[in-house]
Amino acid sequence: MTAPELPWAVLADYRCFGCSPHNPHGLALEFAEHPEGLQTTFDLGRSYESYPGVVHGGLLGVVCDETMGNLIVVRTGLVAFTVSMRTRYLAPVATGRSYTCVARLGAGSAGGAGGAGGAAGSPLISATAEIIDADGVGVVSASATYRNVPFGTARERIALTNPEADRLHQALSPTPAPLPTPALSTAPAPSSTPDGPVPVEETL
Amino acid sequence: MTTDADGILRQITEIVARELAVPAESLAADTDLRAIEGADSVRLLRVVAKVEQTWDIELDDEDVFTVSSVAELAGVVREALQVKAA
Repeated sequence: MTAPELPWAVLADYRCFGCSPHNPHGLALEFAEHPEGLQTTFDLGRSYESYPGVVHGGLLGVVCDETMGNLIVVRTGLVAFTVSMRTRYLAPVATGRSYTCVARLGAGSAGGAGGAGGAAGSPLISATAEIIDADGVGVVSASATYRNVPFGTARERIALTNPEADRLHQALSPTPAPLPTPALSTAPAPSSTPDGPVPVEETL
Repeated sequence: MTTDADGILRQITEIVARELAVPAESLAADTDLRAIEGADSVRLLRVVAKVEQTWDIELDDEDVFTVSSVAELAGVVREALQVKAA
């Protein structure tokens, strides 16, 4: 599966605890397209444990949140803030073993910004995530709601220099979900807009 | 995904059978979930997670740890669907 282009990559010094390669204390998650959404495979060592040999549950929340949030960002081309998240822990996750988190857009995804994840016209988008072990057995499930905001709003809440903000604004563009089978038509995809991200009604 | 009472009961029976690796025919509406051979807390939580994913609902933890049968789990799902639709 190909790796989607995360818009944050244009920021040379971004420190996201979940997905930045520049944060020595972070998880440095790398994402790849999944037939139903976005996925990341990770292996957390003992620096991330709670009980001996067990990955801290809060960090598994980080993994789910990162995977769902980045899925929404790449699909909508809009910055998304987490509104609420609920995590169900099914079994202990062991340190030093490989697991995969898969995020999917929530049900009722016909409307909303970028045409994904929420009710038509609403800035709220839902997503689900599950972490599975190497045998495909679920160990964590999560569901969350995110709020897409126009770039101007996000700009006020994120610490960026003006050049960084300009680069990030240009990098934010919706990426359609990959087709499950090769396209039969040569018609261009209708989802992109020449003027950048689809505007979302501001509610705050 | 079905939302009528019989359909919910049938689909939950199938999920329980799959997650606990037992024949669906061996399960009745009043089968004690914790008495099924091979059932443990982890596997029963996987049943709950699959149920939540199937109907896109969130069950209360209090319900999750108190339901004892397929029929009771189906009842909790119906209540959650009603709350969701309200």
